[in-house]
Amino acid sequence: MKKIKVSLESVREEIESFYDYKKWHFLTLNGLALAENRMEVQWIFSKYEALDEVIVYYAEIEYTDIIPSIVDMVPSAIISQREIVDMFGVKVDGSEKGLYLDEDSMQRPLSGCAI
Amino acid sequence: MFDLKKYRKKSPWILHYNAGSCNGCDIEILASLSPKYDLERFGVINTGNPKQSDIFLVTGPVTYRSRERLIELYTQMPEPKVVVAVGSCTCTGGVFRDMYNVEDGIDRYIPVDVYIAGCAVSPELIIDGVVKALDILEKKSKEMEKPLKLFKEAISENGVVNRRNVALKVGEVHEEN
Amino acid sequence: MKKTINIPLGSQHISLLEPVRFKFECENEKIISVDSDVGFVHRGIERACTTKFKFDAIGYVVARVCGLCAITHSLSYTAAVEKLLGGEITKKAKYLRILLLELDRIHSHMLCLSHTCENAGFEAMFMRIMGDRELVMEIQELLTGNRVQFDYINIGGVNRDINSEVAKKIIENLYEVKQRVLGYMDEFTNNWSLSLKFKGIGALSLDDAYMFNAIGPLARASGLNIDVRNEIDYLPFNEVGFAMQTQSEGDINARNIVRLHEILNSILMCENVLSGLPEGAIFTKLKGKPNGEAIVRFEAPRGELMYYVKGNGSAMLERVRIKTPTFASIPVFSHIFVGENYADAPAILASFDPCLSCTAK
Repeated sequence: MKKIKVSLESVREEIESFYDYKKWHFLTLNGLALAENRMEVQWIFSKYEALDEVIVYYAEIEYTDIIPSIVDMVPSAIISQREIVDMFGVKVDGSEKGLYLDEDSMQRPLSGCAI
Repeated sequence: MFDLKKYRKKSPWILHYNAGSCNGCDIEILASLSPKYDLERFGVINTGNPKQSDIFLVTGPVTYRSRERLIELYTQMPEPKVVVAVGSCTCTGGVFRDMYNVEDGIDRYIPVDVYIAGCAVSPELIIDGVVKALDILEKKSKEMEKPLKLFKEAISENGVVNRRNVALKVGEVHEEN
Repeated sequence: MKKTINIPLGSQHISLLEPVRFKFECENEKIISVDSDVGFVHRGIERACTTKFKFDAIGYVVARVCGLCAITHSLSYTAAVEKLLGGEITKKAKYLRILLLELDRIHSHMLCLSHTCENAGFEAMFMRIMGDRELVMEIQELLTGNRVQFDYINIGGVNRDINSEVAKKIIENLYEVKQRVLGYMDEFTNNWSLSLKFKGIGALSLDDAYMFNAIGPLARASGLNIDVRNEIDYLPFNEVGFAMQTQSEGDINARNIVRLHEILNSILMCENVLSGLPEGAIFTKLKGKPNGEAIVRFEAPRGELMYYVKGNGSAMLERVRIKTPTFASIPVFSHIFVGENYADAPAILASFDPCLSCTAK
């Protein structure tokens, strides 16, 4: 597992320059609650037909930041983006709430400041 | 003549709804309806239509989004109906108890007649549960047919019939049917 | 005036085992757009894994994400924790894990195939496959003690040893299953209602499969070589005769054929496991608490399953992320539906073999 740190501004360029859709496939968008109202976002890719080659782009952000969408490059990312909006209460470009949670369920359950 | 009472007992139809289970009990319900266990040889048929079903098999603790669907399906079923809770998580919440998007068991929303425990429930237990549900179904249909009695027997004194104090409260006299 | 009509499918429907709602926007017969709601079974297992349960119990909790691929879930979680603890398990335990993993794949694929038959209106075939599936369930019960939720895998090994009687019974039953599956192969290639009717329906091209990151039998039916068993080395899949099964058409029929070939390959792997089963212990005690982060992938019956586990040296974990196969395939499902006839929708849906309990967690 290789981890590469990126910032929210540069993540789209990084992924665009690296992502070849015939060689790599997008696993998922992962979130991780950190201390002091911060979270880590991870874009996880793995390589076709290679022995366990997984690459993780990660960025540390505030909950108020807006995460850029990568749906135009990786169409299958749309569902994980909707999930992270629900689970962490962050904003992702063009993804709305309500994949899993209803209005009366616990909001942002994984964020460490669940309501 | 079409005798509904007889057929209801001999061939109850099943409605199945997954209210948030892990699928384990659902495939066991499917297995109990197919060869080897074969509930269908007793005329038990799985329908997708609540309006034609007699027995409601529910799996799973009720998740928040499936609450309305569960109650909707229950209310659409005609009387008499029997609810069977299949699986530990359906009875009490099981392993999912206290998770944030889960109600602990379906009896918070609809009345349950038969509880089947187990994770996952084995087909033998499902068959036992359905057979038990059949008895309850019969009892319920008898209760429905029982006429509602409003008057007591009138008392006659010296040839004069006293019509006072003969009104009955509901449930005051239990008739053996 | 509006020219399209909206038709819902679900959340409760006779062709669906689980609640999912699709809203098809149709123009005459053709589906022009799809909207799906997959959150009916969301329970909140990811949060419970970090707040309610200690790390050694989670292997049994995550099995309850999905009853069909329960073994893959607990196996992936256990492999991730073993990676963090840094221990090596015995070869016999590895072999037994492969055995159960492949048995689970066989019964899951058979369930999917029977479901496809039911949606084609071929009720007799549905009953036949379900009846034969009981042969596999029987072995699973003998091997683990339960038919569906096995709780067989433990951090450090497996919970139950195999004896020679059980091994003999497994070989006998698998031989029987193999004969039956060869029989289905004929039905699925020559019978009109199962093969010709399904040819060209719900097709996914190879380029689209790459584009939408399709996984599992869905991708392999389009000719995409993705099988996680080929890409990992926690378990010795290649030693026991794993072979990738692909087709090129990408339609419903190709998916069925891929599944049939995979069943045959899994039976071969099980037989190889049993004939080459090493002697030794089934359990090694691993000490310590998980610390650090690990990503583990496994091939569930429906495709790639990923676990991300992060621990901080205490008994409670910091994060467990479960990426399930059906969850990642929702975009490609929606893509395939567009342009198909509405009447084919249940059959196409059944051919995906969706698992919504997995999706919503």
